[in-house]
Amino acid sequence: MLRLEGLRAGYGPIEALRGLDLEVQQGELVCLLGANGAGKSSTLRTISGLLRPRAGRIVFDGAEIQGRDPSDVLRAGIAHCPEGRRVFPYLTVRENLAMGAYVRRDGAAIAADLERVYAHFPILADRRRQAAGTLSGGEQQMLAIGRALMARPRLILFDEPSLGLAPTVVETTFEIIADIRRDGTTVLMVEQNARLALRMADRGYVMESGRIVLSGAARNLLADDHVRAAYLGG
Amino acid sequence: MEQLLQHLVNGLVLGGTYALLGIGLTLIFGLMSVVNFAHGEFYTLGAYAAFAALAWAGLPFVAALLAAIAAGALLGALCERALLRPLRGHSIDTIMLVMIGVWIAMQNAELLAWGGVARSIPHPFPTAPLTLGPLNIAPLRLFVVLTAAALIGLAWLLIQKTRLGTAMRATFQDRDTAALMGVPIGRIHTITFAFGSALAAAAGALLGPVFLAYPSMGDLASLKAFSVVILGGLGNLAGATLGGLLLGVAEELGAGYVSSGYRDAVGFVAIILVLLFRPAGLFARAERIG
Ligand SMILES: Nc1ncnc2c1ncn2[C@@H]1O[C@H](COP(=O)(O)OP(=O)(O)OP(=O)(O)O)[C@@H](O)[C@H]1O
Ligand SMILES: [Mg+2]
Repeated sequence: MLRLEGLRAGYGPIEALRGLDLEVQQGELVCLLGANGAGKSSTLRTISGLLRPRAGRIVFDGAEIQGRDPSDVLRAGIAHCPEGRRVFPYLTVRENLAMGAYVRRDGAAIAADLERVYAHFPILADRRRQAAGTLSGGEQQMLAIGRALMARPRLILFDEPSLGLAPTVVETTFEIIADIRRDGTTVLMVEQNARLALRMADRGYVMESGRIVLSGAARNLLADDHVRAAYLGG
Repeated sequence: MEQLLQHLVNGLVLGGTYALLGIGLTLIFGLMSVVNFAHGEFYTLGAYAAFAALAWAGLPFVAALLAAIAAGALLGALCERALLRPLRGHSIDTIMLVMIGVWIAMQNAELLAWGGVARSIPHPFPTAPLTLGPLNIAPLRLFVVLTAAALIGLAWLLIQKTRLGTAMRATFQDRDTAALMGVPIGRIHTITFAFGSALAAAAGALLGPVFLAYPSMGDLASLKAFSVVILGGLGNLAGATLGGLLLGVAEELGAGYVSSGYRDAVGFVAIILVLLFRPAGLFARAERIG
C-alpha cells in the first residue's frame, strides 16, 4: 500500500532522513521505533507532504506522491495525526472535527461520520461547543484521532499517540488504534512506548539517525536483544 | 449632556471606519505575520476608486462602495501573489522592508495618477443634517456608520461562521496542522490579504466623501489602523472593533473639549497609556483571529 524508497529529507543543513526504506501493506499495523531525534516524525512529515524530500520515492497505491502538497496526500487517503496532538486550541471540538473533513465535499456523509465519532467518543459529544484547548490531554488525543478519522483515510499515520498521557489513558488510546485497524484502516505508528506498540503491531521498523537499522515481525523484535536493550529497558 | 451625546455619535462615525481599517490590518498581521505598512494606501485606493465611480462614471453610492471594495481586494490579492508569496519563510524584517516599498510605490502612483490637489468626492446625500431628538447627524455620516457596522458584521460572520473563516482561524492557530487538514495555506494568505485590503478600501470609500481625497491621506489612515490594532491586541477581531470605536470617540471628545488641533494627539496619548499599562492591548485575551 505504502512504500518508501531511499527517502532523503532534512531541514537546511540538517539531514533527518538519509535513505530510508519502509513498506506498509494494506490492513497492517506497522510501528516505527527509534530514539529521540532518529527521524521518526520527519518520516511521517515527509509522507504527508509537510517536508519535501530531497531524494527518493514515496509510492502509495501504485502512484508516486513524494513532494505533493499535504492536501493532495490527504485526498489520496493518508491522514496524519501529529505529535503532541496539535488540536486547534481556540476552535471548538466540533470545529476541530469539521477541519478534519476539510477536503471532503460530501456533506451528508460528513454529518454521518461526525455522529459516528461522537458515538465512539461520547466525551467529545458532551464537549462539542467547548474550545479544544480546554480539554484534558486524553480528551485532546481522542479529538486528534477523531479529527484524523473525519478525513476517512485508508492509511493513518500516528506520531507518538501516547506522549504525555496517563497510563490508563495510554491503554485506551492503544485500544482505539487497534479498533481503527480492525475496522479496516491501515496504520503506521511512531511510538516511544515500544513494548505496548510492538504487542499490538504486525511488524516493526527500528530507526537510527535517518535510516532503518532493523525490521521484522513485531514478536521477533520484542525478542530481539538489540531492541530489548535499547527500547524495552533490557 | 447633549453636546456629549453629539460628540459620541460623531466619534462612532469615525470609529466605525477606524474599526474597518483595524480589522483588516489585524487579520493580515495575525494570520500572515506581515506588518503591512501599505495598509493605508488601500484606504487611499478606496477613496479614489469611489471618486472615479461617483464623479466620472456617475454610479450610485453603493455601487461606488462595491467598486472600491473590489479594487482593494484585487490589488490586495495581486500584491500578495506577486510580492508576499515568493517571500514566504523570509524574516519579518525583509517583509517589512518590502511593505514599506509598496507603501512608497503606491503613494507615488496615486500622486502621479491623481495629482497632488485634494479632491472632494461628490455624494448623493442631502447636506442638511437629520435631527434625531437632541442629535444632529448628516445623512452621509449616518450612512457611513451603518455601512461600517454592516461590514464589520459581515466580516465577523465570515470569520466565525463559514468554512473559509474556520480554516483561517485554524491556519492562524497552527499553520502546519491546518496544512495537514488539507487547508491550502497559500490561498488562505491571498484571501486574507485581499480581504484586509478590501476592508481598508471600504473605509476609504466611506470616509473619503466625508473629508477629502488626496494622495497622502493613507499615512494617517495607517497610523490609525496601527493604533487600533495596538488598542485591541494583535489578531483580535473584537478588540479591533472596540479599539476602533474607542479611538474614534476619544478623538472626537479630545477635539470637542480640548481643542480640534489635538484630535490626532488624543488618540496617540491613548495608545501610549495603553502600551504603558496594558501592553498586550486593552482587550487582550488568549484567543486571536476571532
Ligand atoms: N523544524 C526543524 N528544524 C531543524 N531541525 C529539525 C526540525 N525538526 C527536526 N529536526 C531535526 O531532525 C532530526 C530528526 O528529528 P525528528 O523530529 O524527525 O525526530 P524524532 O525521531 O521524531 O524524535 P522524537 O522522538 O524526539 O520525536 C533531529 O536531529 C532534529 O533535531
Ligand atoms: Mg518525533
